[in-house]
Amino acid sequence: MAEVILENICKTYGNNFRAIDQLNLSVEDGEFLILVGPSGCGKSTALRMIAGLEDVTSGSLRIGGTDVVDMPPKDRDIAMVFQSYALYPHMTVFENIAFSMRLAGKPKAERKKRVDEIAKTLQLTSLLDSKPANLSGGQRQRVAMGRAMVREPAAFLMDEPLSNLDAKLRVQMRAEITSLQKQLGVTTIYVTHDQTEAMTMGDRVAVLKGGVLQQVDTPKRLYEAPVNAFVAGFIGSPSMNLFEATLTGDELTTGAFAIRLQDAAFARRPGLRSYAGRKVVFGIRPEHLHDSSLESGRKYQTIPAKVTSIEELGSEHIVHLSIDAARVDSGDPDAVQDFGMASNAVAKFEPDSAVRSGSEIRLALDDTKLHFFDPETHLAI
Amino acid sequence: MARQKRSHHRLKRAVAPYLYLSPSLLIIGLLMLLPMVTVISYSFQNSAVLRRDPSFAGLKHYQAIFADPVFWASLWHTLYFTCMSVVFHMTIGMIFALMLNSDRINPTLRNILRVLYILPWLFTAVIIAVIWRLLLEPNGVVNSILMQLGIIGSKIEWFSSPETALHAVTFANIWAGYPLFMVSLLAGLQGIPKDFYEAADIDGAKAYQKLIFITIPQLMPIIISISLLDFIWTMQVFPLIWITTGGGPIYSTEVLSTYTYKLAFSSYNLSQAAASAVVILLISLGLTLFYIRYQKAR
Repeated sequence: MAEVILENICKTYGNNFRAIDQLNLSVEDGEFLILVGPSGCGKSTALRMIAGLEDVTSGSLRIGGTDVVDMPPKDRDIAMVFQSYALYPHMTVFENIAFSMRLAGKPKAERKKRVDEIAKTLQLTSLLDSKPANLSGGQRQRVAMGRAMVREPAAFLMDEPLSNLDAKLRVQMRAEITSLQKQLGVTTIYVTHDQTEAMTMGDRVAVLKGGVLQQVDTPKRLYEAPVNAFVAGFIGSPSMNLFEATLTGDELTTGAFAIRLQDAAFARRPGLRSYAGRKVVFGIRPEHLHDSSLESGRKYQTIPAKVTSIEELGSEHIVHLSIDAARVDSGDPDAVQDFGMASNAVAKFEPDSAVRSGSEIRLALDDTKLHFFDPETHLAI
Repeated sequence: MARQKRSHHRLKRAVAPYLYLSPSLLIIGLLMLLPMVTVISYSFQNSAVLRRDPSFAGLKHYQAIFADPVFWASLWHTLYFTCMSVVFHMTIGMIFALMLNSDRINPTLRNILRVLYILPWLFTAVIIAVIWRLLLEPNGVVNSILMQLGIIGSKIEWFSSPETALHAVTFANIWAGYPLFMVSLLAGLQGIPKDFYEAADIDGAKAYQKLIFITIPQLMPIIISISLLDFIWTMQVFPLIWITTGGGPIYSTEVLSTYTYKLAFSSYNLSQAAASAVVILLISLGLTLFYIRYQKAR
């Protein structure tokens, strides 16, 4: 068990592409840290550098107090779970799990004892003689975990280990991995692009974009207090709605409507007053927009909106809306998918909402949940 | 009426696949099966082909062949020639494939090597035979280099000395045949997921351990299939040996194919030649059955 510390880590490829820029990250002993970001943000590269599969261009990397930058992967005392699991198809489950012990020249009896222990923990005992091809996705995933566990490493590195599973199994494995990590207490760094995994599994989440670390915080803090518009847009599903408006006195005005801000909003953000008379980006999450005709929406101020389409999910309705305001791009390449051609906002309504596609409605807005960002830097105000 | 229509439709459906197969079946029947059956029947006849009304000979020709020491010598030569060829084709093919697949070698150099290594494959057997006859001549390049390096003291007549001839033709055949293995194994190597090696790196595998525990097991299906095919093909090699040594000197490179050819077209003993051809057929058939069973088992 050990802490993993990255200091000013940079990674530049031969074509001068900078994949990671000045990454500083410290993962405490026994912590479960999630590295998350859109595709191409450098999260996998960062993990592979920690594993030693990718050279570090500059910076220092310590695992358990030892500088490992120039160490080969096997000496770093880490174990990795790959996205593809990388199970050897010609070996049985037993041989796969015992492979590192066999390489290390451990006696057969010891290998058997250790693998049996792990198989018991992972409920793989009856499958030890099977080949990976005969296992289900979830079982293969567990074998991959077993192969990592057998080494009793200082840290686990996991590279999108659940992305090959179907949705239902993913939920189950999410819980299994989380409880296993708690039980073993091994420092774990987990890469994912799925923000549900990020929010539910980790002690802390590090959000990366374009090789630059945006924010490291607990899931709750990331959700409630994103440091910039990108994190605000990336964390949460559907994404936070971001619009441009002008701060006029106590009101946000867009031309088509105005939102009155309470004193508390200014009290919490001393900087906000200085934007008076200027443009500002405001954000509101879909779950903080309500149907004004329902009980839940009555107490809030309303703005006009047109419903463009509705996704009825049973437990809630995802309502796509068109609001007369300029939408701001958070910089998350995946977020664009949330919006159709005609809509520029998304809301989550309760299932008893009766709004219909095409109708003009009054949209209730919980103004205590507004987020504010600088229109130039996109930093939170 | 409707029932008749339906049964007619069913019949059409049942016959269709055979209709599609019929052209190829016809060609195989005419060009492969018919000659095969004819040769088998010749082997049981006296004076086959040469006489209009050949009489039944029983196993006479087979007995004659099995009593001939040259037959046993050529069988032994064939086995030596084939086994050595397959083993070295595989070894050299594997080494070159690993080299071409390695990212430690400069990509430009790798592309040049790829072309160089595949060259032997572009030549026909006749050209290969002529090249090696020139190279291995007593006054040829090989002797002169070996003498300059001090490896041999006097000029060796590679193809004309009974001690070296079989090794020399085997060597030429090894040179001519490794690219098939190289290309197949290279394709196989490129298909092995990189993750396997990375996982092994993390688990602490050394280069040779990765070769033994990952690369070779992953390539095993290719190694076995190509080895069996190579074995079957090499057993029947004729032009290379015919043009370099013609089976000599003193039968030292006589293989089953040249032995059979000589029986047929030098001695005009077509019945015995047919018997010898049937022996080759039986050995090849055994290997082919083995190959088919292996393919099915996969």
